[in-house]
Amino acid sequence: MNISRRNWLSIAGALAIALGVSASPAQAQQPIKVGMSMPQTGSLGAGGKAALVALKMWVEDVNAKGGLLGRKVELIVYDDQTNPALTPGIYTKLLDVDKVDLLIAPYGTVPTAPIMPLVKQRNLLLMGNFSFQVNHTVKHDMWFNNAPWGTAASWFDGYFIAGQKLGAKTIAFLASDQEFAQNLANGAKELAKNGGLKTVYEQNYPPTTVDFSSMIRAIRSVKPDLVFVASYPNDSVAIVRAVNEIGVGPDVKLFGGGMVGLQFTPIMESLGSLLNGIVNYNSYVPGMNYPGIEEFLQRYSKKAVEAKVDPLGFYLPPYNYAIGQMLEQAVTATKSLDQKLLADYLHKNEMKTIVGPIRYGPDGEWATPRVVQAQFRGVVDKNIEQFRQPARQVVLYPDQYKTGDAIAPFEKARSGK
Amino acid sequence: MIPRNARFWTGAAAVIVLAVIVSLSRANEYFFFAGFVVLQSVVLATAWNILGGYAGYVNFGTAAFFGIGAYMAVVVINATGAPLAVQILAGAAVSGLLGLGTGLLTMRLRGIFFSIATVAIIFIAETLITNWRYVGGATGIQLLRPPLMEPFGSYTRMLFVVMAVLAVIAVSIARYIETSWIGRGLQAIRDTEEAAECSGVPTLKLKLFACTVSGALMGAAGAPLPMYLSFLEPASSFSLNYSVAALAGAIIGGTSHWLGPVIGAILLASVQQIVTVTIPGEINVLVVGVLLVVFVVAAPDGVLGLLRKLRGKLRRPRAPAESPS
Repeated sequence: MNISRRNWLSIAGALAIALGVSASPAQAQQPIKVGMSMPQTGSLGAGGKAALVALKMWVEDVNAKGGLLGRKVELIVYDDQTNPALTPGIYTKLLDVDKVDLLIAPYGTVPTAPIMPLVKQRNLLLMGNFSFQVNHTVKHDMWFNNAPWGTAASWFDGYFIAGQKLGAKTIAFLASDQEFAQNLANGAKELAKNGGLKTVYEQNYPPTTVDFSSMIRAIRSVKPDLVFVASYPNDSVAIVRAVNEIGVGPDVKLFGGGMVGLQFTPIMESLGSLLNGIVNYNSYVPGMNYPGIEEFLQRYSKKAVEAKVDPLGFYLPPYNYAIGQMLEQAVTATKSLDQKLLADYLHKNEMKTIVGPIRYGPDGEWATPRVVQAQFRGVVDKNIEQFRQPARQVVLYPDQYKTGDAIAPFEKARSGK
Repeated sequence: MIPRNARFWTGAAAVIVLAVIVSLSRANEYFFFAGFVVLQSVVLATAWNILGGYAGYVNFGTAAFFGIGAYMAVVVINATGAPLAVQILAGAAVSGLLGLGTGLLTMRLRGIFFSIATVAIIFIAETLITNWRYVGGATGIQLLRPPLMEPFGSYTRMLFVVMAVLAVIAVSIARYIETSWIGRGLQAIRDTEEAAECSGVPTLKLKLFACTVSGALMGAAGAPLPMYLSFLEPASSFSLNYSVAALAGAIIGGTSHWLGPVIGAILLASVQQIVTVTIPGEINVLVVGVLLVVFVVAAPDGVLGLLRKLRGKLRRPRAPAESPS
């Protein structure tokens, strides 16, 4: 077949018009890209996977409502393997190759820290994800952390307030000899001194310690009113077991405070009734009347079982869903994806989320931290579902979410099944 | 025909010039982040090969030398605020000394026992740093990058060029060792240490030298890391992944020639970079393991060995059409 030059031109013209016509609506419907890396392997992998389920739920929800600014939302996620050496590369790819519109930080302090200079240099909004004091050095004014803690003091304020209400006069400290636990313990010691509490026992133990019986016996012999423990997951489990074998004596009013690990579902399930009586920090426990959280957790639970991740998801998932909600609120209110406008909005307005209302301070942390201190009660062995009941972890602090008073002394709370 | 030496140095100069040109171009910033990691792997694999490939002493302690190099840079930044070149020199010097010390303590061990001893160095170094508050302790330390250096458009672009220079230096040293009497001595040690000793090869001295140079190069590779990340913490800096990647790069490329670790590291690190941003989840962690197994089984002499075999086949006179069976 012979095609003349004119025919070629007309075919080309028709094609161009057809492409142009089909391209313009496609342009308008280009999704809003939200980019992040999430640890899905490595030490934070288990938590990261659960958090990702929640973020994907937010994307589904917002798209079901028609998306943001009339555009669908697309989440682009890479696995950073909990390796901070990978995150700068991943975030540069998200920005320069994938051309994302909004950024969320990876779960945890370590993977987040290396991307702080990048976002500061490029003036980008970054939604933080359960990191601790990561903006301390960089001082980026477009950083907003979803974690309910601010300074180290915010972790144990509630514990001391609960102790003071019980008339405590003396305190014992047991802390892991590692940076974070030491920060907590040093802050707690300062607070104890200012509050007129007398320190009667103080012990830092090496992180590899597995047998705590001698320390628990020593605490028992000095008869303190409060025992403040700053420990990591493995030590927390060993300490709880040692306390249940040996006991801390009838004088101890409260036991716990800063034990990392007792918030994690597998540890809660394996310790079961041994947890009773312990007062410890948390981010959320059932019974705190945040609007929408129960409905979220019901839906999350089904998805989590399918995805084979933490079925309860109290610790991290609601806070990740809240990141989505905050972005949604800011984008909808400002009708813009301009990073500066969004940051201004987040600074000036109260965010309504399933983890309660959030207002930000100038450093991008919560203006009023809300670390919960809750007491385990009536926990039985080998039953995950029981932890959904508000009665299993009674909120002692903060006051506006309080669901009960502390049962003291600790031995009474421990044996009262 | 151009002599080999001239060809090598022209190639080396070309690599540096190319790195500078690319870094001044408008290429995507992501390329430099990924490129830095690939070049860092080249330095590590080349450094590993000096002791592991030439002398046959399998060192699992790469992460220790690398991490100490990185932390020495932090010490220099904290104490004096000296520029990157000083940080790299300090990292190389301390890791080199660590290599010498390690060599003195462990060179009496051989085979698997030597390898186990080198793993221990990682844990010792990590524990030391974890308990040293001055460099950030267990929680790590955040660092602010100094202002940009002209003519580079970003700090990462400059680090990319620095790592390219380090890679060329590392490869040049490895090549020198390989082609000089030192390399021949190390190869004799690898084949039979007793025979080498009897023939007058100063085995202990050579092994210590290889340990020191290898350690120093690993330290130099680690020194730019704090500025690349603007953050450093012990668990990831002393990650066993660095040890495995250095060893895997050399084995995949081929350990008998300086070009082997270069090819292996580029191949492995590039695949890892690509997989990280394409395949989600656990699969990307498998890549190194699978590649290593495939190469150990299918090409025990690495890519270079495979190429040599292919070339040998091509050069061999054609076999008769019907061979008697």
